[in-house]
Amino acid sequence: MNAPSTSPTIAVEAVDLSKNYGSVAALRSVSFSIESGKYFVLLGPSGGGKTTLLRLIGGFIRPSGGRVLLHGHDVSDLPANLRPTSMVFQSYALFPHMSVVGNVAYGLKLRKLPKDEIASKVEGMLDLVGLAGYGMRMPHELSGGQQQRVQLARSLVLERDILLLDEPLASLDAKLRKDMCLELKHIQEKVGITFIHVTHNQEEAMAIADRIAIIANGRLVEEGSARDVYERPVKRFTAEFVGENNLIDGRVVADAGGRLKVDTGFAAIAVDKRGSAAAVGETVSISVRSERIHLLDPGAAAKDDIQVIPADYVEAVYLGLTTSHLVRLANGSEIIVRRLSNTESDAKFVSGQTVSISWRTENAQLHID
Amino acid sequence: MRDDFSSEWGYRAKWAYLLTIVGALLAPVFYVIYISFNELGFGARVYKFTFDWYRVVLGDTMLVGSLKWTVYLALAVVATTVPMGLFSAKLYKRTRHKVLMVTLMLAPLFVPADIMGSALLVYFKHLNRTFETIGEAIGADWMTAWFELGFLTALIGQIIYTLPYAFVVILITMSRYRPQQTEAARACGATAWQAFCQVEFPQIRAGVFSAAAFVVILSFNEAPRTALLKGGFDTFSNVLVSQMLNVGMSGESYAMAGIMSIVAMTAVGAILIYTMIRTERLDRRARAAAEPVMST
Repeated sequence: MNAPSTSPTIAVEAVDLSKNYGSVAALRSVSFSIESGKYFVLLGPSGGGKTTLLRLIGGFIRPSGGRVLLHGHDVSDLPANLRPTSMVFQSYALFPHMSVVGNVAYGLKLRKLPKDEIASKVEGMLDLVGLAGYGMRMPHELSGGQQQRVQLARSLVLERDILLLDEPLASLDAKLRKDMCLELKHIQEKVGITFIHVTHNQEEAMAIADRIAIIANGRLVEEGSARDVYERPVKRFTAEFVGENNLIDGRVVADAGGRLKVDTGFAAIAVDKRGSAAAVGETVSISVRSERIHLLDPGAAAKDDIQVIPADYVEAVYLGLTTSHLVRLANGSEIIVRRLSNTESDAKFVSGQTVSISWRTENAQLHID
Repeated sequence: MRDDFSSEWGYRAKWAYLLTIVGALLAPVFYVIYISFNELGFGARVYKFTFDWYRVVLGDTMLVGSLKWTVYLALAVVATTVPMGLFSAKLYKRTRHKVLMVTLMLAPLFVPADIMGSALLVYFKHLNRTFETIGEAIGADWMTAWFELGFLTALIGQIIYTLPYAFVVILITMSRYRPQQTEAARACGATAWQAFCQVEFPQIRAGVFSAAAFVVILSFNEAPRTALLKGGFDTFSNVLVSQMLNVGMSGESYAMAGIMSIVAMTAVGAILIYTMIRTERLDRRARAAAEPVMST
């Protein structure tokens, strides 16, 4: 395995990458780069182009336009077997006529390594993925989680620099998915190679990613660290897709240095500009995470750093750890306020009652597209 | 398959119906085999068991010659049709125009055997004449007689006849194969050929071998096309039919029919049993794989 590099080098670079199927554009001019040794997640809704992008990197399909560079080398015209990548598929990808050992050793046998070396590498890899003692089993004798571990071992044993994972946890139950998530992250840290993981599951992405790229409608919407993507989404789509965000539309009416005043039609809301190019008169959206909003008695006053707007209480939905409170704004749009469940405060408001909702100005995010 | 609420007698009646149909279909075949072992032949009051008719058949130069000719033809058909069927099935899995491809591949099945045979006969004659004319025009003698009726023309006729069957048989087995496995092999460093040989073929082998066996049986059973495209006394079934039409059924004819039936039933039976065992094994695997994956 490659030791984690001290100076960041670029493992994967996509340059204006496009893929068309007839008249359908699956991927439109996507460009990004991934540092060596990072756990990079491609997150997005189904049919958005994530898997297409992964398959382009892996060499399973040829780009209609643009280039794929791996460690600086243009590999756009190379098939999968000639690229320094290996891949874990969503399911059905183990060779059913080979045992666990046969599956893991397959790539090593193709390289014609000595038998002893193959045996020792396979044993070490099965140990790493927690399948020591399962070598003689056939794939159908393993659970879904174990089958995915075999796939992981089969890919890692090749000691390639880049591992591609196409929704590897999608067919597992919730508990197993969570366990495997952490395990994948730990294995990645141990082997130190670049992992590119495709998922539509935000929780999974947040748990493992060093960096996340949001892919939708064949485009790269936004890229950043897991925290940035969650806390400070630049695009409205990201705010809508990741986590539970409340979006309020309005028009910029004043620009006071680093802070804008947005008229929503029923309230004026202050929001930090944070480098946004929004100008007075422009239509914008403001997003506030449901867990950042507080529910108050009516008439609470706004302060410099606290935004307060009136709303009508609709209902509370108990979700175990948290309770979702639904309120309606004067323009009819609904806002979700998520608080830790508490028997007393959950019953404080009744349907139809006028309330106030508030959030710290710094917790709101401005979007112009 | 029985459900918990079905009548016991209804279930038995279904089996009785099935066995009656199969029995009615196979009774004449078994009767012919039975007669073929009677020294006194068909219609005799006394039954004396003997292998003599088989000895006569296997000692007849023309019959053995026709048997050899049929075996060569069958082997040549297998060698060409099975790879073509395999290639077509692989192409079918990739193409977006599946209905069109199936229609084209199965089209020869909808043309009656004698019409297809005579059409090919006329076609080959014209093709032969065309090549001869071209050859004469350019002074190329070697272009003559390419499509004279013979082994090649019979082979082409048999390929057209058997290819749809080989295609369907292989396609059925191939439908269980997941293309992700080929991609996984490629990701492990295998070339396309290595991925096919080491990962895909072992999983579709049963279908390929079944197609080969089926093609052999079809080659042995086929009469009209080879009769038209080669001649009435070359293949085993043509000799049998000719003999029956010319001199009627003899003990020798029964033995020939017996050989054909025993070989065909043994081959088909072996394929069916193997396929059933394999299907059961694959179903068991599929059921195991389909069980909900729970936390361990």
